Amino acid sequence: MAGYFEEMGWAELEDGQQPNHLLDMARFLIDFGLYEDNFTGEWPRLPPPASKEAVQSLADVTVETDDKSCPICLKKFNIGDKAKEMPCHHQFHAKCILTWLDKTNSCPFCRHELPTDNEGYEAFKKEKKRAEQRKEDIETLHNSMFS
Amino acid sequence: MANIAAKRIKREFKEVMKSEEVAGGTIKLELINDSWTELQGEIVGPPDTPYEGGTFLLEIKVPETYPFNPPKIRFMTKIWHPNVSSVTGAICLDILKDQWAAALTLRTVLLSIQALLSAAEPNDPQDAVVAKQYREDIELFNLTARHWTNAYAGGPTAIWEFNQKVQVLLDMGVEEDQARVALSTFDWELERATEHLFS
Repeated sequence: MAGYFEEMGWAELEDGQQPNHLLDMARFLIDFGLYEDNFTGEWPRLPPPASKEAVQSLADVTVETDDKSCPICLKKFNIGDKAKEMPCHHQFHAKCILTWLDKTNSCPFCRHELPTDNEGYEAFKKEKKRAEQRKEDIETLHNSMFS
Repeated sequence: MANIAAKRIKREFKEVMKSEEVAGGTIKLELINDSWTELQGEIVGPPDTPYEGGTFLLEIKVPETYPFNPPKIRFMTKIWHPNVSSVTGAICLDILKDQWAAALTLRTVLLSIQALLSAAEPNDPQDAVVAKQYREDIELFNLTARHWTNAYAGGPTAIWEFNQKVQVLLDMGVEEDQARVALSTFDWELERATEHLFS
């Protein structure tokens, strides 16, 4: 059985680390339903930029066909052109995709998300995933009882 | 204007001109100035909606940072819709705000706005008055939207009773757009609309 911390998606405090009381307060308010806009909603603004690490580790590829265009500037790729490839395999000019990822973290074509350096947003994503998982668990339980 | 924005608009313009929507007459795109920063869009009202048969003009302003930021689009033709301001024509549509993606184009945006006319989002309104009517009296909303389509967008269905009421207010010296907004807002009750206009 997974430990409590693991199940909640939390990490134990390291030596010398202080708890984040503001974050605790926010969790308390949400857990007791005192703050309506909980994690069923959407992130209210454009998600933050992709993390530096994720951007640096984007694959450099050489374009092998001439029937595709960069989805950002719409210019046609020629065979042999250099391009950056996202984990979702969509290819862009380096300048185009780097400008975009400096603004927000997702693929402009399919919205596949890269990690960000924004703690708040990462917490939001984790919480959203947990909420979905919980919903699924309840459904599974419900189905196993009433089928 | 930054080079990439103008170049991309040029490429998009060619793409739109070749598209089947332009061929079929459901959307149109025109240049307003030579610097590729201002365009005019046109969409026709989707079938089986109160907007059917109407032609709606849209003002499109392309920012220097396009396509990294969305184009600014508003309705120039007046329209009665929960997600469009009946006064300014401002549109509440997620892809024009926080859900913008650089791979979206003027063509896909115009198609999304057209789709918004078929499927309103009354829970995320731009115009609270219209949204309230949409939620509480969908039949009256449909009639009002049809009347606006007839009055401003060249739609085919005139609603005699509404036209009469607008005329009554015109005869009192009220300006036409104002009269129509007041009557639409007060569920076509002449007395309440008059009271509002003259209070």
